[in-house]
This record gives sequence, C-alpha cells and structure tokens, in this order.
Amino acid sequence: MSSLLAALWAEGLKARRSRVIAATAAAFLLLPVVDGFFMIILKNPERARALGLISAKAQLLAGVADWPTFLQILLQGTAVAGAMLFAFVSTWVFGREFSDHTAKELLAIPTRRATIVAAKLLLTASWAMGLTLAMFLLGLGIAKAVDIPGWSSELARTSFADLLLTAVLTYLLMPLVALFASMGRGYLLPLGWALGTMVLAQIAAVLGWGDYFPWAVPALTSGVLGPRAEQVGLHSYLSVLLVFAAGTLGTFIWWRSADQSR
Amino acid sequence: MTLAVETIGLSKSYGPVRAVESVSLRVGRGEIYGFIGRNGAGKTTTIRALLGMIRPSAGSVRMLGEAVGPHGRGPWRRVGHLVEEPSAYPELTVRENLEIARRLQGLEGSAATSRAIERLGLGPYADRKAGVLSSGNLKRLGLARALLHAPELLVLDEPANGLDPAGVVEIRELLAGLVREQGVTVFMSSHILTEVDRLATRIGIIHQGSLIEEIEAGTLEELRSPRLEVEVRDLDTAQRALAGAGFEAIAHDGALILTQAEAIAAPDRVATILVNAGAAPTRLAIQQEDLEAHFLRLTGGTQ
Repeated sequence: MSSLLAALWAEGLKARRSRVIAATAAAFLLLPVVDGFFMIILKNPERARALGLISAKAQLLAGVADWPTFLQILLQGTAVAGAMLFAFVSTWVFGREFSDHTAKELLAIPTRRATIVAAKLLLTASWAMGLTLAMFLLGLGIAKAVDIPGWSSELARTSFADLLLTAVLTYLLMPLVALFASMGRGYLLPLGWALGTMVLAQIAAVLGWGDYFPWAVPALTSGVLGPRAEQVGLHSYLSVLLVFAAGTLGTFIWWRSADQSR
Repeated sequence: MTLAVETIGLSKSYGPVRAVESVSLRVGRGEIYGFIGRNGAGKTTTIRALLGMIRPSAGSVRMLGEAVGPHGRGPWRRVGHLVEEPSAYPELTVRENLEIARRLQGLEGSAATSRAIERLGLGPYADRKAGVLSSGNLKRLGLARALLHAPELLVLDEPANGLDPAGVVEIRELLAGLVREQGVTVFMSSHILTEVDRLATRIGIIHQGSLIEEIEAGTLEELRSPRLEVEVRDLDTAQRALAGAGFEAIAHDGALILTQAEAIAAPDRVATILVNAGAAPTRLAIQQEDLEAHFLRLTGGTQ
C-alpha cells in the first residue's frame, strides 16, 4: 500500500469515527431543507401571510417559488455556509492533532510529513465536495417533493456547475485555514481567521473591491452579494489561486520545518 | 558497528533560553541508556531533537548511523518512540489507534497490531475507545505503538510514569527482555530513579541543559557498595594506624574511605585503633550512596 493511501485511510478513519462529519452534514443539509420550507411558504401566499414574520422574510429572500429561485438560494447559501463549514472541517482535521496532542505521533515515522499533509488536504477537499454534492442532491429531492415549477435539465446542469464553482472557490481558501490551525496548534486562530475574513469580505464587497479580495470571490460568484457578481473575472480567480498556493505551500513547509516542541 | 544514538555538541535554544547546551552522547547497540535530570533539565528537548521533532540550534544527531533531520528525515522504520505523555485519538478504539500507526509505519497485515496488543496486555481493552482508557493503559497503548514495528532502537520518555507498581515491573521486564533477546537498544528518560538504577547499563545525568555525568553500570555497583567514611584531623597518622591494623584506607575529599567488609562490620574497632593512635575520628559513618542520593548530590539536593 502506498504511503499516501495509508495516510488517506488513517485520515478517513479518524473522520468517520468523529461526530464532526455528522455535525457538518447536518448543518450543510439544513440549507436545502430551509430552502424547501421557503418554497412551501411562497407557493401558498395566504398561508405565508398568516405566518407573519417568517413569510415576510421568505418573500424578502426569495420572491417566487420556482426552480431557478430555489437553486439560486442554494447557491448563495453554499457560499456563506461553505465559508464557515469548510473552515470548520479544515480546522478540525489539522487542529485536532494539536489539541489531542497526537501531532507528535506523526513526525518520527516512515510516512513523510508531506504525505500526511497531502492526505489531510485531500480529505478536507473530498469532505467539502461531498457535502456540496449531498446538499445538491437533497435539494433536488426536496424541490421535486415541494413540486415547484420551472424545472429543466439545462437549469439543473448550469446550477450544479455554478454550485461546484462556488464550492471549489470556497475550498481553495481553506489551506490557509489549515496553516493557521497548524501554526496556532488548535482551533482558535483558524476559526478567528475564518470569521474575520468573512466580515472583511462583506466590507470589501460593499466598498466595491470584492473582486480583488479572494475571500469575497465565492460569494460574488454565487450572487449572494448582488449584481456586483459581474465584476468577478480572471483576476479574482487568480487571487483565490494565490491564496490556495500560499496556504498549501505554507502548510507543507510548516509541517516539514517547524519545531514541534509541544 | 555504528552507534545507536550519537549527538555531537547538540544545543537547542528558545530565544534567550538555552534548553540544551552542547550535549554529546554516544549510545552503543544493545545498551539501556538511562537519561535522568530534574524537571526542565533538558531531557525531553534532547529526546525531541533525537527524533527530529525540533531542529537543533547547533550540533548534530545521528540515529542508527543515519543523520536526523532537518525535515523529519531519519531511520524511523527502525526506531520506536514514546514522547512525554502518550496520546491517542480518543474516538478510536485501541486497535484502531494501533492500526493507524501500523499503516503509517508501512507494515502489511494486522498481525503486528494483535502482537502489540497482546504483548502490552491490552487484550481486554482492544475494542475500547482510547478516550476512556486510564492513564496507565494509555501509556501501554503508547508503548504498544512504539513496539509495533519491532524497532532496533527505542526512545522512551518516562515509560513507567503513570503505571501501577505491577505495570512498572512489567515494563521493566519487557524492556530487559527486548534487549536480552532481540538486542534492542533502549534510550529512556525517567523520574523513577530506582527503575533506571535497576535497568540501565549506563546513565547520563543532564542538569540545566548540560550533560554533567555519565555513569557506567560498574560505577553504579560501586556506588551501591557500602563503605566506611572516617573524618580525622590527621589523615596521615590515621591512614598509617589503620594500615598497621590491616585496613586499607583511601584518602578522598578530606576523609578516609574503607571498603573492606571487616571494617564495615566493626566500625567500633576502627574507632578504637584511631583513638589509640592519637587520631580520634571526628566523624565515622557507613555510607551507601544509591543513584538517587548521587543524583541529588550532583544536581544540588532537594531544593
């Protein structure tokens, strides 16, 4: 068995046995459930009005109960929830080795440190993409069950492509979270970083610099920040790729070279 | 034959703090090297440097003839280790924790895992989650992980710490057996000096980051042998008087040391000889220094 497969197996086992998979899945899969709930409300305006505040909020967010609206909400939700949940996953995968004091068991072994980092990054990528796929499939099922108009296979295909792009862009920002989880040897620094960049992304988008601010790019792509989404271009994707490269390289270098004195 | 552990001028500083200063160690194959020191003396820092977990500020480390570091490079397939308090993934069972270690060691088949579980007496806990293990059993799990790949060299930081008395004896016998039957080299730090005293073939004492003494097993035996220490005002007269009575007395540190069984059995006779010779003893005591007393004397007592 190659050492990467062994490391992947180890990371997979740790993830499967933890409650974090279930927790992140529950949080992420709530998105299509809430989306479906909005559609039910929007489909029945009389009942929506009777519900008062909830129906007002549903109208504010969505507007009409149809497939394009449903899938747009799903997409926008992915950008927002993904930024936090993917960060949470990366933080756990890397930070738990320090909070559980198990990092030292991964250092003086035949499997190279770079292989272990690669396995962790691959696991977080699979985890993020798996959550996205599961959410999309559940969304399709829920929307079908709610029976809203406007379905077309072309719409589903383009929506899935947009969703995947948003999820991939969001994931590409995560290796930097992994680096902070490693450098901070735990959870506080990376989660603080994730929250901080979310806030800064909002500010950058309001100021009109969102397309140059990597952490705003997934949200702009999803359309959650409004019509400014048009600004997203090659320079935006390159900025995200730059963050990905810096985070990945930084994490590899840190694991290879940093003193592990705790 | 290459050395199992070799450090040359190993130093490690954390900012202005010098944790380890120019430590040169040479541990031969098949030795049990006890590495002792007070808290903060530099034991764990040295062990982490041996295992490539920290980069030395100066000096070099070789394990089993192979250079260690600077990027985690080392003969890790042939080295087992236990550093500080053992740790494990709490949500995984004992067996799963060992399976992870086995695969990362590149070992095929799960026989090694079962052997390690059996060897460390973890059978009843094999399917129990590591998070609910007692500290003693967690230590056993750490040792099982260290032994999983039948290493040639074991680097153990406080291997008996946290074990009950039966566990301490068990680990002592296990390590002695590994050295005796498989020629494994053991480099171990410990606070339990009686264990080091019983097990080690050589002992290194580290104090304030520096290796201040290395004691061979033979010297330990000498330390353990009782001796009669006599303090007198006139050493020459006393030495002559005792020699005349058939006692060999060696002058050492302003006192006379007698190691013959007759002298130790009858200190009153020695005192009488000295009084009659006009060199009355000002102090006469039977001393038997064990490792603990020796260690405390070297490192500044119990303060």
